[in-house]
Amino acid sequence: MFGYIRAFKPYMRVCEYDTYSAVYCGLCKEIGREFGFVPRFSLSYDFTFLALMDMSLNEIKMCAEKQRCIAHPLKKRFCLCCSKGVGYSASAAMLLVYHKLKDDLQDKDIKSKIRALALLPFFKGPYKKSRIKYPELANNIEKQMILQRKIEQDKCAGIDMACEPTAAIMQEIFGALSSERDKKDLMRFGYLLGRFIYICDAFDDVKEDYKKGNYNPLLFIFELNDSKCEIPVERFDKIKDYVTDSINFTLGELAETYVKLNIEMYKPIIDNVIYLGLKNVFDLVKSEKFKRKLREEKDNERSV
Amino acid sequence: MNDPYKVLGVSPNATEEEIKTAYKELVKKYHPDKYQDSPLKDVAEEKMAEVNAAYDNIINSRRTGGFSSSSSGYSSNGQDYSGINYYDVRRLIQTGDITRADSLLDSVPSNARNAEWFFLKGSVCYTRGWLNEAYQNFSTAVSMAPANMEYRSALNQMNQQRNGYMRGNPMGGYGNNDVNRQMDCCTSLCCADCCCEMMGGDLIPCC
Repeated sequence: MFGYIRAFKPYMRVCEYDTYSAVYCGLCKEIGREFGFVPRFSLSYDFTFLALMDMSLNEIKMCAEKQRCIAHPLKKRFCLCCSKGVGYSASAAMLLVYHKLKDDLQDKDIKSKIRALALLPFFKGPYKKSRIKYPELANNIEKQMILQRKIEQDKCAGIDMACEPTAAIMQEIFGALSSERDKKDLMRFGYLLGRFIYICDAFDDVKEDYKKGNYNPLLFIFELNDSKCEIPVERFDKIKDYVTDSINFTLGELAETYVKLNIEMYKPIIDNVIYLGLKNVFDLVKSEKFKRKLREEKDNERSV
Repeated sequence: MNDPYKVLGVSPNATEEEIKTAYKELVKKYHPDKYQDSPLKDVAEEKMAEVNAAYDNIINSRRTGGFSSSSSGYSSNGQDYSGINYYDVRRLIQTGDITRADSLLDSVPSNARNAEWFFLKGSVCYTRGWLNEAYQNFSTAVSMAPANMEYRSALNQMNQQRNGYMRGNPMGGYGNNDVNRQMDCCTSLCCADCCCEMMGGDLIPCC
């Protein structure tokens, strides 16, 4: 579910990339300070984007210095040295990761079940702590997760309905960034981002879900429930076209809302994510390369 | 029930200037600040909402060019035989009361649904962010009433997005793929030139 919102690195200036990774690094350290060592590894680019939006909307200037960290012990890197601007993202990350792990517990797949079982104790504390800080957000997320489970059980048709819980969660998360008049636009912005994430995720898993007989809204729309081992190619292409249209609608509308927000600070980086990063991620998902990329990133981290 | 022109008290042939002055007069008259401690507060608020909706409606429909067809639509088709008033639905959508607009629309039996119904249903879905359903409804509306500019402009906007358009894209075009495609074009021209020269001809004379 995570990691779909990221920048497209080849088109970033070096200074932009430095800022981007400084925020990532600062967020990671903030999670370390607030919630302990293990939760740091749950960090994904989505929350870096959330932190960037937070910093941009609330006009928080970056204070960064070169520091070492455990993931890159040999080289000093730019890193945010104050927790201003990343605190909210860190808490939101904990709330979401906790729910994701709880969701994995009910998964049919034994591997992710064991992983979730092993990790969950480390996230209970951080979840409680974040919940106290943002009770309304936590309640809303919980409500939507229940709705999500219900939708999966009822096997709802319609992609719009299936996207609703994820989108509503993101709507709440982004809506809380500002209390001013642009709150409404921010909420829609979040909603559409959530839609993007959910559709990408659904398409990413469609082949696996078909094999294992799991619920996937795309399989349901195309009435593919007689589980053989592979989706017929022509049906798969149809799903691909449908998903491409849905993603394009979502991104088009996202841009409409984004323009209204009048972002000024960190604009080049946020522009990069919106106009290039998301498209690039979807292209990777579409050509079934995204999972491989995520795996490679993880391996890189481990090898260091 | 309410022709937006009647609400503002102007003739349908009035210029935009005339509409604006009439609107400003009415805003002054019904402004909620004037009725803060008065029993007429609710009435004034209702009136105000009506005036706002009517004004938005006229201005929007004039700017999108769908004015003549849709405005006659209000007065004649407004009170439909199915018993619901599409103008009310429009007003609810404009004021952001999506839930009520949707339940009003859902009360229309499926055999009595006309192009306006599908357009409004599409607008409701669009406001909610249910873009796939919005697109389907707009498409149906346009296929039922191909001449209506308002329906068509809604569908056109979504069709642009479907082709990958994103407003305000500083990178221009359709993102990173486009750059590659331009590159492809140049490289293939160069290749073609080389090939031609090899065969004795020349595609690009200067090189």
